[in-house]
Amino acid sequence: MSSYNGKLIRLNLTTGKSQVEEIPRAWLKDFLGGRGLGVKYLYEELKPGVEPLSADNKVIMMMGPLGATTAMSVSRMALVTKSPLTGTVAKSVMGGSFGAFLKFAGYDGIIVEGESAKPVYLHIDKEGIHLLDAADLWGLDTQQTHQKLREKHGKSTQVACIGPAGENLVRYAVLISDLRCGGRTGVGTVLGAKKIKAFAVNSSGPLSLHDPDGFKKLAREIIEGLKTSPGRIKMSDFGTSYLTLGFEKVGIFPVKNFQEGRLEGVEKIGDEALANIKIKNDGCYGCMAKCGQVRQVSGGTYDGATSEGPDYETIWSLGGNLANTDIGALIAADSLCDKLGMDTVSAGNTIGFAYELYQRGIITKKDTDGLELNWGDPAPMMTLLEKIGSRQGFGKLLGEGTKRAAAQIGKGAEDYAIHIKGLELPAYEPRAVKGYGLILATSNIGASHMYGRPRDELAGKKDKLTEVDKGKDAASAESSQATQDSVIQCSFSPVTGFNAQQRSELLVAATGFKEFADPAYVEKIGERTLCLERCFNVREGFDRKDDTLPKRMRTEPLQNAGPATGQVFKNLDGLLDEYYDALGYTRNGIPSTEKLNQLGLGGVAKDIEKFSK
Amino acid sequence: MSVRVKLPPILQEPSGGVEAPEVTGRTVGECLESLEEQFPGTKDYLFDRQGKLLRIFGIYLDADGLRPIELDTTVRDGDEIVILNFLMGG
Repeated sequence: MSSYNGKLIRLNLTTGKSQVEEIPRAWLKDFLGGRGLGVKYLYEELKPGVEPLSADNKVIMMMGPLGATTAMSVSRMALVTKSPLTGTVAKSVMGGSFGAFLKFAGYDGIIVEGESAKPVYLHIDKEGIHLLDAADLWGLDTQQTHQKLREKHGKSTQVACIGPAGENLVRYAVLISDLRCGGRTGVGTVLGAKKIKAFAVNSSGPLSLHDPDGFKKLAREIIEGLKTSPGRIKMSDFGTSYLTLGFEKVGIFPVKNFQEGRLEGVEKIGDEALANIKIKNDGCYGCMAKCGQVRQVSGGTYDGATSEGPDYETIWSLGGNLANTDIGALIAADSLCDKLGMDTVSAGNTIGFAYELYQRGIITKKDTDGLELNWGDPAPMMTLLEKIGSRQGFGKLLGEGTKRAAAQIGKGAEDYAIHIKGLELPAYEPRAVKGYGLILATSNIGASHMYGRPRDELAGKKDKLTEVDKGKDAASAESSQATQDSVIQCSFSPVTGFNAQQRSELLVAATGFKEFADPAYVEKIGERTLCLERCFNVREGFDRKDDTLPKRMRTEPLQNAGPATGQVFKNLDGLLDEYYDALGYTRNGIPSTEKLNQLGLGGVAKDIEKFSK
Repeated sequence: MSVRVKLPPILQEPSGGVEAPEVTGRTVGECLESLEEQFPGTKDYLFDRQGKLLRIFGIYLDADGLRPIELDTTVRDGDEIVILNFLMGG
C-alpha cells in the first residue's frame, strides 16, 4: 500500500478522449510528485518552440505523495506548463481541497493536452471520467462556476475553474479552487486557450498508506506541537498581512511602481486595520493553520465587499503599489480579481505600470479610455480590472502584461515595465533586499515570490544591502522551494508544518519508498527539479542574459525607502557568478554535463549541448 | 531585578552581536526601554511609526513553553523574555 495512486488522467481535448495511465515508479523516486513530477512530464513531452497558447502546450496538474493525508499543509496541487507571459517553464501551486479529492478518486494528477472546439469541463466520480459540455458555464465568474457545478453534481463537489480572464486569454489568468488560486505565470490562460472551463470531482477518502499507524502517530505529534506554535498562531490570526508594516519600514514594500519605498497612511491597510474587518478563517484541506482571512467591508463605496485576503502580496499589488490606502477598494479589488480569475500580483503590477506612464505623460486620457490614473485614487483601478478581465478597450493591452504592453506602447515605456522574463515582480524591492533580488533574477519562471526566499537575509542574519556572498543562499533557497513544491508542502510549513527530518519520516510512512528516509536525498530532488527547469529554458534559448533585473533596479537610486534609500543593484553580475558556481552551471547559466550526470539527468545533456558552447 | 532578553538575529544588529543581554525593569515595556538604553536603535526595529509593536515580532515569556505577553506584563527576577521575528515572506 502507498499514498501514491501511481496513476494519472491524460485528457486530450482535441479528441475528447481521456485515458488512465501509470506513472513510472522511477520518476516518483527521482521527482517525488507535484512540481518535480510535473516538470519531468513537461520536459519529456513538450518539444522546444511550442507556442504557449497553442494546442501543443500541455498543463500538468500534479499532487504530491502526502496530499490528502492527515499531515499538515500538504494537500496543495502543482500546476506546470509553458507560460504565455514568459515562454519559460511555468509553475504555480494551488491550495484548497480539489487536489485532495482528486487523490481520493484514485488519481495523482491530470495531464491536459490538445484543444477543444467548444467549451468543456471534466467531471470525475465513481462512475468514471466524463468530459462534458460547458456552454452554460462559459462566461460565468469563478464563484458562479463553483455554484453551478455544485448545483449539478452535489454540494460536496470539489471544483477548480478558470474565470472570464482565462476565457478571454488575459495572460495572467489563474486556476482557482474555492478561494485559493494557482496564481502566477498564466496557467489559467493556457487552460482558457484549450477551452476547458473547470474540473469537478466527487469522491471520498481515506487514502491508503504504507504504514497507517506510524503515519497517524507522526502526524498527530506534529499537530500537537503546532497548537502552541507562535508562528502558526501568527499565521492563523493575521495571514501574511502582518508583514506589511515591517517590510514597509525597511524599504522592501515597493510604492508607486517601485519608484519609492514609503507609503503615507500604510497603517490603513496594515494588519490591525484588516483584522478589524475579519469575519472568519479559511484554509486548505487538512491544515489547522487556516491562514486565509475572510474580510468584509462595512460602509462606504465598497460596502459588503468580501474576500479571502488580501495577503501580503495583494495588499501591495492593489494597495501600496498604487499608493492606494482605501481598505474597502483593496478588498473589493481582491474579490474582483478572484471572480475574474486573474493573478492579483501581475494585475496590480501592470496597472501600476499604467499609472506611472500616465504620471510621466507617456500615455494620456486618450489612451486610457478617458481614465485619469492618479496615484492613490483606486476608482480607475477598479475600472481597469474589469476592462482587463473582459479584454475591453485599454484593458486589452494591459491584459498582455507589462512586457508586451510596453513593447506596443513604445516611447520609452519599457523602462517602467517592472518584470523579469515577462513575469511581473511581486512585493519585494530588489534594491532593499539584494539576495531576494538575485532569486527573482535567476528564477526559471520569472519574478515570482514563490520561487525561494532568502531566509537568513530576511531574518537579519545577513545584511540585506550587501551584494556579495549571496549566491549559495539563493541556490539553496530555490532548491528547497522546489523540494517543498514537490512534496507538496506549503511554503509556510517551516512555521505551520514540519521540518526536514519529520518530512522524511512522513514520506516513508506514507509511500514505503525507503530512499525518502534520508532528508538529503529528498532535498536533492529539489536541486534536480530546478536543474531540469533550467534545461527546459535553455532548450528555448534562455541563458545568462535573461537572468537580470529591470533597468530601474540597476540604474536608479531607490527613493524615500528608510534604510534602503539611495540603493542601486550594482553587482548582479558578481552574484550571478556565485549562484551559477553554487549550482554547477557554466558562467552562461547552463548546467554543466558533470552536474547533469551528478543529478541523474545525463540524458538531458545532448538536448542542451549546442547551447553550452 | 535582573531579566534576560533573548534577541532574534535582526535585533543583534543594534546589540552588536549580543544574543541575550541582561536588562532591568518591572514590566516588559520597561525592559525594552532598558534594552534601548544599552543598544540605541533597538526600538526603531521593533515599533511602527505610530509606536506600536510591529507584528513581524512577537514577545514571549519563556517559562514552561513560550507564552505571549504584552508590554505591560509584569516580569520577575530571573525571567527570560524571548523576542521572535516572523519573517518568512508573503
